[in-house]
Amino acid sequence: MTINSVFLQLLTGLQLGAIYALIALGLTLIFGTLGVVNFAHGALYMLAAYCAVIIAGKMGFLAAIVLVPIMLFVVGIALERGLIRYFYNRPHVDQILVTFGLAIVVEEVVKWIFGANNIPFKLPAWGNGVAFLHEYIPFLEGFVVFPKWRLILVAVSLLTVFALFALLQFTRFGLIVRAGMREPEMLRFLGVDITKRFAIVFGLGALIAGIAGVFGGPITQVSPGVGMNLLVPSFLVVVIGGMGSLAGALIAALMLGMALAFTAEIASLQQIIIYLIAVVVLLGRPRGLLGKKGVME
Amino acid sequence: MSVTTAEAAARESAKPQDAPAYFECRDVHAYYGESYIVQGVSFEVKENEIVALLGRNGAGKTSTLRTIARASEPHVTSGEIWLDGQAIHTRKAHEAARTGIQLVPEDRRIIPGVTVEENLILAQVSEPKGWSLERIYEAFPRLAERRRQEASTMSGGEQQMLAVARALARDLKLLLLDEPYEGLAPQIVREIERIMMEVKKLGITTIIVEQNAIAALELADSAIILDMGQVAFRGSAKDVLDNPQLRQEYLAI
Ligand SMILES: Nc1ncnc2c1ncn2[C@@H]1O[C@H](COP(=O)(O)OP(=O)(O)OP(=O)(O)O)[C@@H](O)[C@H]1O
Ligand SMILES: [Mg+2]
Repeated sequence: MTINSVFLQLLTGLQLGAIYALIALGLTLIFGTLGVVNFAHGALYMLAAYCAVIIAGKMGFLAAIVLVPIMLFVVGIALERGLIRYFYNRPHVDQILVTFGLAIVVEEVVKWIFGANNIPFKLPAWGNGVAFLHEYIPFLEGFVVFPKWRLILVAVSLLTVFALFALLQFTRFGLIVRAGMREPEMLRFLGVDITKRFAIVFGLGALIAGIAGVFGGPITQVSPGVGMNLLVPSFLVVVIGGMGSLAGALIAALMLGMALAFTAEIASLQQIIIYLIAVVVLLGRPRGLLGKKGVME
Repeated sequence: MSVTTAEAAARESAKPQDAPAYFECRDVHAYYGESYIVQGVSFEVKENEIVALLGRNGAGKTSTLRTIARASEPHVTSGEIWLDGQAIHTRKAHEAARTGIQLVPEDRRIIPGVTVEENLILAQVSEPKGWSLERIYEAFPRLAERRRQEASTMSGGEQQMLAVARALARDLKLLLLDEPYEGLAPQIVREIERIMMEVKKLGITTIIVEQNAIAALELADSAIILDMGQVAFRGSAKDVLDNPQLRQEYLAI
């Protein structure tokens, strides 16, 4: 392998991992705070992608970037208040059934309105085309290009991850949420309405799915089934990383992205690589890479 | 005869409308899931009073405190809880805390992964606030030294101090202490006792659960003895100390 191809594969791995990371981050954030396994998270991505296509078509791509995450935040809060909160104290199986059921309903409704096929998602002019990487990176030899939009997706993912970590680590809201993840009952004894904070966290998880939908939609397709297609690997990413661990999910998403990129030439291996990783990691560490004791056991 | 019946009936119907005491549990029943644990507890506590809540292992002391603090488990099925004229039994845990109930749980429940100071800040997220951080650090110099330390890495005694300090960081009307001396070295116990005497001087109404009944009765004005989820005795601290039968039957001292 040449340095060029290794570099491109790394970049591809980063980009593939980025989408899984965004979806897994929301999943694991919701699980870590609310203890809810949200199988409707993929449907949120799908909704976001459809909203993005429509808004981008009517008002331009920038409008979609601003509006879609806000819309998804509102949808997330409504979902939590209207449905999910009744399942906090129910077994995980019930949570999975109800969110999975919801995902199927949303998928069918979208199919009914927009049809079962992929609808084209045109990139904005500023994100179209390729970037000439050899002009910026001295060790690359000759002519190396990479789609601009995929680089943008990686950058946006990184920004989102940093923003989320900063919110959780450096703000008062973050302090309350982190404390609430460890000792929800004690926070209530101290007068904190932690359930309200957690509802906002659910909204944030949906908001991140919104960001993923806007920037990922042009790459992953915009079709009714796209949410479910992404949910399964993203959920595995959460499990491999350790249920409820943000850092674990990031590492696992990166592992998965890299594994997919470096097995691209062996299609049969690529299809099972995620399950292989899951088996190997979980055999060695049954709680996942950074999973904590007592979580989902 | 008809007059006496009417009088009795009037007295009966007047009873539930009696103004509750400063703090009062009225026939409170609560369950852990299906298990019936708090079986009709009734007692009153006067303002500024310190009550020792005693009884054998498993008598229901912790459960009673958790019921008062409106933990989701044990869940109350009937009865009333009143504090300073406000109904507590209709509130959730965080609302009960805002009306002035502060539980210092038996396992202290220091929040791990955050610092000592952050534990105190978390106690002041919601109104009404109590002592300022400056006042807390003045009263607890050991906590002041460790304000940036991760709270769960402190010694048991220091964690207990933090648990009490966290309660004082809120504007409280009723302090519930569950075995504050449990598992602590005698020297630390004395230090916490000193803090308890200060709390007493401040006149904070307190219910203290303690295995060491003698230590609790030294501090307390009065005592409640629980047995099998019910109040078996209510009287002054002296009544308990002077009654060998009571001490033997319920306290093994
Ligand atoms: N989470 C729970 N689920 C079911 N039963 C419980 C639970 N916690 C306590 N119990 C039961 O309730 C009863 C009273 O327990 P509680 O902890 O209130 O007693 P206690 O007086 O505080 O005892 P100790 O002195 O040992 O702390 C016991 O029989 C106990 O087994
Ligand atoms: Mg107890």
